[in-house]
Amino acid sequence: MPALTDLTIDVAAGEIFGFLGPNGSGKSTTIRTLLGFLHATSGSASVLGRDVEADSVEIRRLTGYLPGGIALYDSLSGEQALDYLGDLQGRETHRRDELCDRLELSAAVLKRRVRDYSRGMRQKIGVVQALQHDPELAILDEPTEGLDPLMQQAFYRILDDLRAEGRTVFFSSHVLSEVERLCDRVAIIRGGHLMAIHDVTELLAHRRRRVMIRWRGDPELDSLPGLEDVQVHGSRVHGTLTGEVAEFVRAIASPSLEDLTIEPASLEEAFLEYYADPSGEPAASGPREDGS
Amino acid sequence: MNGRLFRQTLRWQRTRLLIVLLAAIAWGVLIPVIYNAFSDMVRELANSGSIPRELMSVGSGSLFTLPGAVTLGLQHPLAIAMVGIFAVGASSTAVAGERARGTLEVLLARPISRTTLYVSILVALLLIVLLVITAILGGMVGSAIGLGLGDELDLAALPLVVLNGFGLWAAFTTFGLAASVTFDRPGPAIGLTLAWLLIHYFLEILGSLWTDAAWTQQYSLLHHFNAGAILTGELAPLDLVIVFAAAAVPLAYALFVFPRRDLAAPA
Repeated sequence: MPALTDLTIDVAAGEIFGFLGPNGSGKSTTIRTLLGFLHATSGSASVLGRDVEADSVEIRRLTGYLPGGIALYDSLSGEQALDYLGDLQGRETHRRDELCDRLELSAAVLKRRVRDYSRGMRQKIGVVQALQHDPELAILDEPTEGLDPLMQQAFYRILDDLRAEGRTVFFSSHVLSEVERLCDRVAIIRGGHLMAIHDVTELLAHRRRRVMIRWRGDPELDSLPGLEDVQVHGSRVHGTLTGEVAEFVRAIASPSLEDLTIEPASLEEAFLEYYADPSGEPAASGPREDGS
Repeated sequence: MNGRLFRQTLRWQRTRLLIVLLAAIAWGVLIPVIYNAFSDMVRELANSGSIPRELMSVGSGSLFTLPGAVTLGLQHPLAIAMVGIFAVGASSTAVAGERARGTLEVLLARPISRTTLYVSILVALLLIVLLVITAILGGMVGSAIGLGLGDELDLAALPLVVLNGFGLWAAFTTFGLAASVTFDRPGPAIGLTLAWLLIHYFLEILGSLWTDAAWTQQYSLLHHFNAGAILTGELAPLDLVIVFAAAAVPLAYALFVFPRRDLAAPA
């Protein structure tokens, strides 16, 4: 059974591209194929204009890769691990000091053995090893796993800077909030098939919104344009807005309107449609808001 | 070959190597001492017929002559264990161990082809094996000269002994590394390589203890490294051909298979 089928993705230079899917959907398989760890039985792929089979070594020279759940050499110190991997990369590691500063990896911490590191510390080392040589393309598989919220923010700022510098980031994640925060476009993969590719802003703008309206007295149900799944509970009305927000607000504006809540569309809700199985139920291991 | 990877492979082994080198030298020194102390007694025992001559040998080696003692010293389980730590242990875990730990993924994310990775590790391990063999032989020769027995050995043939020994253990090292690039876990790779070594050891010992089964020795790679014979000017060029051919086959296999293997995410 093929692990990936009909998967066609174009990632533009200089964008942060999110790659989303439940466990076992083929995210890591895709990444491993791009890096030459796996060989496709058919089809082709190119990274930075180079063929993944013929030019794999050159692709890896220009790329920084953070594997999901990175494993490092326990007997080395953090500094030795970064030196070793940097030397093997064969490029100047001129971003290392800056990255270590931003991720609060002090000289004392770097002197400690990797075996003594917490999961978060290992993940920080993983981020540094992937980016220390200032790669043209960063391929990051679940990069914030194990990072505390402060370090996640620091990491997001690093990616913002990479984007500003025109670097390309291919970003696999379960954490929808960070995809929403960081990515320009997202691809959704399920069962080895590409389900959709979207511009994040556009996706959010066209998603359904949950609406709650409360009137003084009886609800006015005559003019609720674009509101579906309407449920009335006394003076309150709940529903799902699929149309334009501005038009809806204009339509319901009246002196008897007491309260209006329109919840912003979350990426999670948007993606649940794609993760849902044919019976309409969401897949068991769909995206998570907290990444846990 | 990648110099950094080569050096790091040596570094991973440096403590173990240092200990084994010291033990190898000590073992090498001990062999002529034992020969010097017990060879007359062993000869008398053999001549008396009270103990069959076959039982006083280990493989192709014996204490009847110094060259025989050298062979014995190199075919003794202790010597095999010292070289085997690297030729079997380190080689079979080199790639499979990285794979099981998950570090192979980090390593292969660097701009290094799998062929380069394989060759760099192999060259480092072969160098280590060569050092251990040289240490054992160095200890033997130094000790023999120190005891005034140097004239019993054809020291000019020493490089050929090293070459033959290196070829023998290169065969096990390339086998171990071939197993290592084949399996995802070090356990099966170690098991297979160790079994390969034990089969050869069994064939060699069986043939030396039981004259009717002497033909089995021909099928043992260990039998094709007879240091004593070389040191008495009886090098069989076919032995060199056999051990280096046995090293080349797993090498070719690994160079073909490893670059083509799919390396799925570690479990």
